[in-house]
Amino acid sequence: MGQQIVNGLFLGSIYALFALGYTLVFGVLDILNLAHQAVFMLCAYVALLAVGHLHLHLFLAFPLAVLAGGLLGLLVDRVAFRPLRGRSDSNISGLISSIALATILEAVALQLFGPDVERFPFGTVPSRTLRLGGAVVSELQLVIIAIAVGMMAALTLLVQRTRLGRRIRAVAESPRAAQVLGVNVDAVIAASFFISSALGAAAGVLFGLAFNAINPDMGRAVELKGLAVIILGGMGSMTGAAVAGFALGLLEVFTVAQIGSSYRDAIAFGVLFLVLVVRPRGLLGQAATREA
Amino acid sequence: MTAALEDLWLTYQSTVAFVGLNGLLALSVYATLSCGQLSLAQAGFMALGGYTAAILTFHSGLPFALVLLAATLVPSLAAVPLGFPVLRLKGVFLAIATIGFGEVVRIVFVNLEFTNGALGYTGVPQRTRVWMIYAALAGALFLLWRLRRSRAGYALEAIREDEPAARTMGIHANAYKLSMVVLGAALAGLAGALEAHFTFMVAPSTYSFARVVDMLVYAVVGGAGAFHGPVLGAAFLTLLPEVLREVGSRVGLQPGPLRLFVNGLVLLLVILFLPNGIVSLPQRLRERREARRPGAARAG
Amino acid sequence: MRLARWQSVAAAAAVLGSAASSARAAETVKIGAAFSLTGNAAVYGAQQKAGVLLAVEEINKSGKLKGITLEAVVEDDQTSKEQGIAVFQRFINRDKVNAIIGPTLSTTATAADPIAQQSKTPVVAVSNTAPKGITDIGDYVWRISLTEAQVIPSALQIVRAKLGFKNAALLYGNDDVFTKAGFDVMKAALEKEGIPIVEIQTFATKDRDFNAQLTALKGKNPNFLMVSALAEQAAGIVTQARQLGWNVPIMGGNGFNSPAFIKNAGQAAEGVYVGTAWNKPSPDPVNQAFIASMKAKGTDPDQFCAQAYTGVLVVAEAIKQAGMKGGRDDIKAGFAKVSGLATPLGTFSFLPSRDGNHAAAIQWVKGGKFEVVQ
Repeated sequence: MGQQIVNGLFLGSIYALFALGYTLVFGVLDILNLAHQAVFMLCAYVALLAVGHLHLHLFLAFPLAVLAGGLLGLLVDRVAFRPLRGRSDSNISGLISSIALATILEAVALQLFGPDVERFPFGTVPSRTLRLGGAVVSELQLVIIAIAVGMMAALTLLVQRTRLGRRIRAVAESPRAAQVLGVNVDAVIAASFFISSALGAAAGVLFGLAFNAINPDMGRAVELKGLAVIILGGMGSMTGAAVAGFALGLLEVFTVAQIGSSYRDAIAFGVLFLVLVVRPRGLLGQAATREA
Repeated sequence: MTAALEDLWLTYQSTVAFVGLNGLLALSVYATLSCGQLSLAQAGFMALGGYTAAILTFHSGLPFALVLLAATLVPSLAAVPLGFPVLRLKGVFLAIATIGFGEVVRIVFVNLEFTNGALGYTGVPQRTRVWMIYAALAGALFLLWRLRRSRAGYALEAIREDEPAARTMGIHANAYKLSMVVLGAALAGLAGALEAHFTFMVAPSTYSFARVVDMLVYAVVGGAGAFHGPVLGAAFLTLLPEVLREVGSRVGLQPGPLRLFVNGLVLLLVILFLPNGIVSLPQRLRERREARRPGAARAG
Repeated sequence: MRLARWQSVAAAAAVLGSAASSARAAETVKIGAAFSLTGNAAVYGAQQKAGVLLAVEEINKSGKLKGITLEAVVEDDQTSKEQGIAVFQRFINRDKVNAIIGPTLSTTATAADPIAQQSKTPVVAVSNTAPKGITDIGDYVWRISLTEAQVIPSALQIVRAKLGFKNAALLYGNDDVFTKAGFDVMKAALEKEGIPIVEIQTFATKDRDFNAQLTALKGKNPNFLMVSALAEQAAGIVTQARQLGWNVPIMGGNGFNSPAFIKNAGQAAEGVYVGTAWNKPSPDPVNQAFIASMKAKGTDPDQFCAQAYTGVLVVAEAIKQAGMKGGRDDIKAGFAKVSGLATPLGTFSFLPSRDGNHAAAIQWVKGGKFEVVQ
C-alpha cells in the first residue's frame, strides 16, 4: 500500500511537471501547444547526448537540456504561433501548426537517433534505495520528486512575485489591455514559451532518468495523459496542474492495484471526459471568460 | 499489352484503394469542421464500423451491402449520446473530449475478449472492391455538394462563421452540429468497414490517435473550406510517400522519417501560408497576380 | 551409316534444343524480401536483410542450384500494413518474384500474405510467431519461425525442473498482437503444468512505468514471474522489478530475445530466462559457419538473422526438391518435400500445418550474455 503511494507520487510528479508547461501557455494564449511533447522528447535526447557523448556530469547536462528546451520553446512560438496571431481561428490553426511542428521535430529525432529505445549510461545516477516503512524508494525517485516540486514552487514564485510574472498575468487576462498599458505582448508570450518549454524539457530529462527509456515516440503517451491532467486541474491554473498531476498519478496506480491494469489508460480518459461534461473548468480553473 | 496494364493495375491497386479510403476519412473530419467544430473522435467511429462489419461477416450470412449499412448505422447511433454532452464544449475542449472518446473506444476493444482483444479479427474475406470505395466516396461528395447549396448548408456556414449570431437568427445550432457529428461518424464507420474487408483484418492498433491526426491533416492540407478539398488533401498526402520512397532511397534518407518530415512540413506551410488549403491555391495565385498588375488600386 | 535427311535435321534440332534448354536453365529466380527496415520493427528488419543477402550470395557461389541464380529483391514495409500490402503487390505483379520472404511482423503478415495466397505466390514467414492467422491463410503460406507455442512449453518445463517453483504470476502487454499471443501461450503452459497462477497484470505498449503493476504482483508473493513484452519494455520491466527489491526469477518470451534487452537492462538482466528458437552457441558446423560468415561481414547475428538466412536455405532446398525448377508452384511443391534440412537453427522440417519444426532451446543471461541452459 505504501509502495503504491510512492509509485503514484513519483509518476504524478512527472505528469505534473509536464502539464505545468502545457497549462502556462494555455493560460496566456488560450492555445494548446501540442509541440510540447516533442520538446519533452528532444531535450531528453539532449541530456542523453551530453552525458553519453560529451561525458558531462548530470549536474551540467540537466541545466543544459533545460536551456535547450527554453530555446526550442522560442522557436516553437516564432514558427508556429506568432505568424498566426490575429487570425480569427487562431485556436484551431495554432493547434494544427503545433501538431505540424511536433511531427517535424519527431521526424528529425527519428532520422538522427533511430527508433530504438535508449537509456542513460549505467552509473549516471546512483542506484541506492531506501526503505520507508514497507516501501522501497530509490534515491533517484526522491530527487525527481524534489526537483519537480521545486520547479513548480519556483514557477509559482515567478508568476506571483516578479515583474515578468505580473506581465504574464496581465497578458493572460487581456492581451489588448496589456498592450495599451505598455506591455510588449510578443516578448511576454515568448518568455512564457521559454519557461513552459524549459519545464517540459526538465520533465523529459527526469522521465528519461526515471524509466531509462528514451525514443522518438516517448512524448505521445505522456501528451495524452498531460491533456487529462490540465483538464482535471483546470486549464490555465498552475496549482491545478500540479495537484491534478499528482492526483492522476495516484489514481492510475490505484486503478492498477485494485481494478486491474488493463483499464489504466482508460481511467485517464474517462476522468477527462467526465470533467469536460460535468465541470469543464476542472478542479481549480476559472470559469471561462473568453470564448475559445 | 493488356497483361502489362493488368500488372500495373495490380501493383498499384492498393495505393488507389487507400487514396479513396483516406478521402472518405478526410471527409468525415470535414463534416464537423464545416460547422466550425473540431471533432477528433473518428478513430473510435471507424473502429465501431470496422468491428461491426467484421462481426457480421463472420457470424451472419448477410450480403455485403447490408453489412456496410450496419457498419454505417452503428457509429451513427453511437454519435448521438456522444454528441449531446460534448457539443456544449468550445473549440479546444471539444477536440480534447473527442480525442478521449476515441482512445476509450480503442482501449475497450483491446480488452474485449469477445473480439479477441489486441489480436482482433484476421482472415476477414476481401469483399471490398476498389469501385465500391470510389462509389462511396462519390456518394459522400454528392451528398456534401447538395448540402452546400441547401438551406442546411447556409445554416452550417453561418454557424461556422459566428455561432452566437447564428443562434440569434433562429438557427438551431445544436441540431445542425449534432447532425454533422453523426454524418462524420457514418462516413468514418463506412470507411472502417471497407478497409477491414480490404486489408483482411481488424485490430485496435489501426484506430489510434495518430490515425485521426492524419485525417485532420488531409482535411486541412486539402482545404477545409470546400467539400472537395479534403479529398484532394488525402490523395496528395497518400501519394506523396510513394513518390518520396523513390527519391529518399537515392538521397540516403530513411523513408519513415522522411515521410513524417514532409507531412509535418506540408501541414506547417499550408497552415501558415495557405490556410484554406491546396484548393485555394489557384484563387490565391490569381489574387496575387491581380495585385501586382500596374495601376491596380493600392490600399491607402 | 548415313542419316536420312530428316534424321539429321531432327538431330540438329535436338542438339540446338538441348543447348537452348541449358541456356534456359541458367535462369534467375527472384525472391522478394519484405522487411521492416524503418518503423517500430526496424531493429529486427536490418538483421533479417543481412541474413537473406548472405544466404543468397553463398548459395549462388556454391553452385548448389545448378544453373539457377537466386536474386533477392529487398523492400521496406515500414512496419505498416498498408505498405506491406503495397510491397507484396509490387513483388508479385511488377518484379514477378517466385517467392516472398517476410514480412517482419505478424500484424503486417495477416494483411499482406492473403494477397500472395490469392496470386499463388509462396510466402515464407521467418519471424511471424503469432500461433494463429499466419499459415491458416492458405497453402501458399509457410513458416520457418517457431511460434511461442512451440518454444515456451518445453522451455518452461526445463526451468521448472531446475527451480521447482510452486506458483507463478504473469505480466503482459495486452494491446499488441505478439505480446498478447505470447501471454495466451504462457498461461496455457502454466495451466498444463498444473502451476497455479496467483496474479495477472497488464500494460500498454507505450507504458514505461511498470511500478504499479510490479508492486501489485509482488504483493501476491509468486515464486516465478513470466513476462510477455517487446524488447523496448523488457528492459524497463526487469530493471524496475529489481529496483523494487524484488528478486523473483523471471522468464521472458521472444521479445526478450535481443541483445538490446541486455544492453538496456544491464545488471538487472542477469539470471533472466528466455526461450529461444535459435541456439546460438550450438557447435553444429552449419551454425558456426553461418555465424563466422556474418561476423566477417561486420554483423553479430541475432535470431532474426538466423531465421531469415534459413528461410532462403529452405527456398533453395525447395527448388532442388522440385527438380531444379524455380517457378512459383514448383517452390510450393518443393516445400512439402523439405525434410531434415541442415540449417543454423538445427535440423529443419515442415509440419503438416506448414509451420516450422526444429529443436528449441532455453537460455539465460549470465555475465551480460545469453547462455544456453541444459
